[in-house]
Amino acid sequence: MGLQYHDNGWIGIVITLAMVAMILLNIFRAHGTGDLYIRRIAGLNSIDEAVGRATEMGRPVMMVPGISAPVNAKTMQAINIFAYVTRVCARFANPILVCCNDATVLTVCQEVIRDVYQQEGLQDLYDVDSVRFISDRQFAFAGGVAGLILREKAAATFLMGEWYAESLILAETANSVGAIQVASSTEVTQTPFFIAACDYVLIGDEFYAASAFLTRQPVLVGSLIGQDWCKLAIIGIVIVGVISNSIQLMGGSHHTVTQRWNEGKFEGLPKPSPFNAGDTTFSRWLNPDPAKDTKIERPKLPPDEMPQKSAGGGQ
Amino acid sequence: MATNDPMPQKSLGDKLQSFPKSALYLALFVLVTIPLFFPVTLPNKPIEASIDFYAQMMKLPEGSKVLIASDWTNSTRGESMGQMEALLRIIMRKKIKFVVYTIADPQSPQVARDTIRKVSDEEVKAGGKAYEPFKDYVILGYFPNGEGTSAAINNKFLSICDGKKDYPLNSPPRDVMQSPVLQGVKSVADFKFLIVVTASNSSTVVLERVTKVPKMFMVTGVMVPETTTYYAAGQLMGLCGGVKGVYDLETLMQEGLNVPGPKEVTSEKYSEKIPGFPGMPPNGNGKGARYYPSLHFALFLLILVVIIGNLGMILSKKKAS
Amino acid sequence: MELFAQVAPKTFWNAPNSSTELLVKIFIGLAIGVALFFGLMAAPTQVRKPVLFTTTFVSGLFYVVFWLFPQPINRQPDDAPRNAMEGFSFWISDSQAVIADVTNIVAAFLIGLGIYSLLKVHAGRLVKQQKDWGFSAVLLVSMLAMVIFGYGDFIMRLDPANSKMAGSGYVGWTFWQFGKDLLFNGLLQNMDAAMFSIVAFYILSAAYRAFRARSIEATILLVTALIVMLSLMGLIEFYWGSSVDGLHLSNNFKLTNIAAWLGKNIQTPALRGIDFGVGIGLMAMGLRIWLSLEKTGGTS
Repeated sequence: MGLQYHDNGWIGIVITLAMVAMILLNIFRAHGTGDLYIRRIAGLNSIDEAVGRATEMGRPVMMVPGISAPVNAKTMQAINIFAYVTRVCARFANPILVCCNDATVLTVCQEVIRDVYQQEGLQDLYDVDSVRFISDRQFAFAGGVAGLILREKAAATFLMGEWYAESLILAETANSVGAIQVASSTEVTQTPFFIAACDYVLIGDEFYAASAFLTRQPVLVGSLIGQDWCKLAIIGIVIVGVISNSIQLMGGSHHTVTQRWNEGKFEGLPKPSPFNAGDTTFSRWLNPDPAKDTKIERPKLPPDEMPQKSAGGGQ
Repeated sequence: MATNDPMPQKSLGDKLQSFPKSALYLALFVLVTIPLFFPVTLPNKPIEASIDFYAQMMKLPEGSKVLIASDWTNSTRGESMGQMEALLRIIMRKKIKFVVYTIADPQSPQVARDTIRKVSDEEVKAGGKAYEPFKDYVILGYFPNGEGTSAAINNKFLSICDGKKDYPLNSPPRDVMQSPVLQGVKSVADFKFLIVVTASNSSTVVLERVTKVPKMFMVTGVMVPETTTYYAAGQLMGLCGGVKGVYDLETLMQEGLNVPGPKEVTSEKYSEKIPGFPGMPPNGNGKGARYYPSLHFALFLLILVVIIGNLGMILSKKKAS
Repeated sequence: MELFAQVAPKTFWNAPNSSTELLVKIFIGLAIGVALFFGLMAAPTQVRKPVLFTTTFVSGLFYVVFWLFPQPINRQPDDAPRNAMEGFSFWISDSQAVIADVTNIVAAFLIGLGIYSLLKVHAGRLVKQQKDWGFSAVLLVSMLAMVIFGYGDFIMRLDPANSKMAGSGYVGWTFWQFGKDLLFNGLLQNMDAAMFSIVAFYILSAAYRAFRARSIEATILLVTALIVMLSLMGLIEFYWGSSVDGLHLSNNFKLTNIAAWLGKNIQTPALRGIDFGVGIGLMAMGLRIWLSLEKTGGTS
């Protein structure tokens, strides 16, 4: 037909759709079920403790949703967690400070934080300037937030979202003023820095489980269960793949092939060749290797719609 | 009731665990700075990922075209500038044309432009050919939406060139579509490689969306572990990581691969001889060679302070028990 | 040499320069935009939620369809579709470039929103002489200086008479070029580099404070970290490697080989596992946002 799944072939689409189906199924299943168990996540259990400590010391709680431009799913997740933190702070009448790296993040944060205060019936406590835009340049942002941490002497900092090199700068600065820190980065490169400098760290997809853990909304809990199903499915595929490849490669050098998968089809070989990892079924499925030079005969555009030659410059 | 008891003396273990930060910072500053003033040449064995990178670049025929995502700024110039310079030297000596774009930072195009100009001037001094903007390379500029741009690059490369202008020598800005570099380019598959020089997540953004062209990455040292997962899976043809990666490339440019000599570099994967450019810049004075000793001293200090801290912890525990 | 200006072929989203079709398309787009703007402002509150849901869903739907629908094989710029399926695939493919442009433009305009926020906070602080108003003054002056010099330099370079400025050296440079160079290369670039360098100092202090062998796992972690760091030190690796060189078996104890084994067999699978979890979490989050299942802010 002249159409193809150019990347992973059909199997990539099937696996992804299956995972989407598992997540959606569990979201709908979760409605009406009772309180489902989610294992303890230390960093999230410490939120009340951190805010309480800040209230005792009379110092603000700082929240930073990472750097990402524009707002994306990771930032939205961080903002969800910050909404919970803000709710706790509002009840304790503790000042907050939210530092944003991007204008869209700023507007979303302002809306969410204001809504939280309204839901708690504490609109008077909401300070518009508590949610501020610092800079969209990475190190200007890091410098600005570090300066705020030092001047305001934040008692608790929540560093969550998409983090890069500025993560350690902020974590160490907050450590130097004695702040209790809860952090999470979606980038695995920054997790070690947070672990070295922060009190509590959410690793990997604990960050995405946080909103389900804190709010226990059926949609979120169902989604979390669906994610776990997906992980189990991937583990299953890996195990099946390992077994399948191992069986196919068991023949060693005695096992030969007379044709090899190349550019989307089997090609005959001039002489038998030893069976290798690229010849296994799973390898063929996951590396469709579409033909690069396939010619498809299509009609051409009418002359008035075709690109026109024009004299360029150059030499 | 207040007492006049003197402060308890700190044990050796406690003292070892409580060095002032300023002393540590001063030690690091001194140790990292000294090699910059007193250069030292250190032995080096390039790793397979760097060898792959070099071999793939050296196999490109003259006149081919590569696409470069230059997603770094001067904040990571310690690593990224060295990587970019090494890449440009190979490209210029192989007479390869290239197109540069960026999705990470608005500063990046200007930083790339300055680096290209600097390397071109050095090559001219060494007897090579000057690389002219617009004729030999084109800079498309900054694209704020990295995800959409990467998808557009894979889907319809020429669409991102629409309306873009570059600065030829002694000429006002011109539409990049008129550049000889983009002649004959209909899709991203017409480039031999997409090389991403980055210190940010643009590597994963590109990896997820650009699939029609082979890719190689040049990343900072801290990104090497996560990028190695893609290199090990065969999604990348080569990987240059951190200052070590820069030094590896400079070593390979000097000694070649499988070229007999006192400092011969061999590889398990490549049996053929791949020549270097002996005597050509940087000739032992590149950023990799200059910063590698500093890396040594910094790592040495890091290991030392960790050992001292743990020693202090053991002594404190013994005293307490 | 006559060069080929590779003009984009005609699609639904473009029209020839200065043509009536182009003007009509611009007018229609503008009319729809203005109508939507005023319509949303005038819409009653109960309509806003469905509008938000529809907008979110349609916006996300495009990229879902773009990814799900097969793409044309080896499409040439002058190819026409053979049937309806291929026609839809061509349309999706052409639209993606337009949508990428639209998001680029929106993202660029967001900078204006950020500047407005900065001005509101810092100009207010300066006028009222609140705490730390000096820092606000510095920020505003720096921002203004960068805008003025940057724009002045850009305008000058557009002039054909100033084309030599693009070359090496300071040929034809004026006050504007030197000013921009001082602010950009002299200040901004170096401050960026200085801030990033701070990370090295902080790693040292964090490692000194936190890396303690308090348990078996921590000890294993420290030993492997030591091996990896030593493998990066070419001097150590050279002498260690020379001492174990010889037998094939002893080659396995070279630092680079041990570090490579640790990287390939321990670190990479662990990172892959984390990446799977994070990727699935991100997909679930994106799905919930797209289908408006996510209640931002949560409930008490």
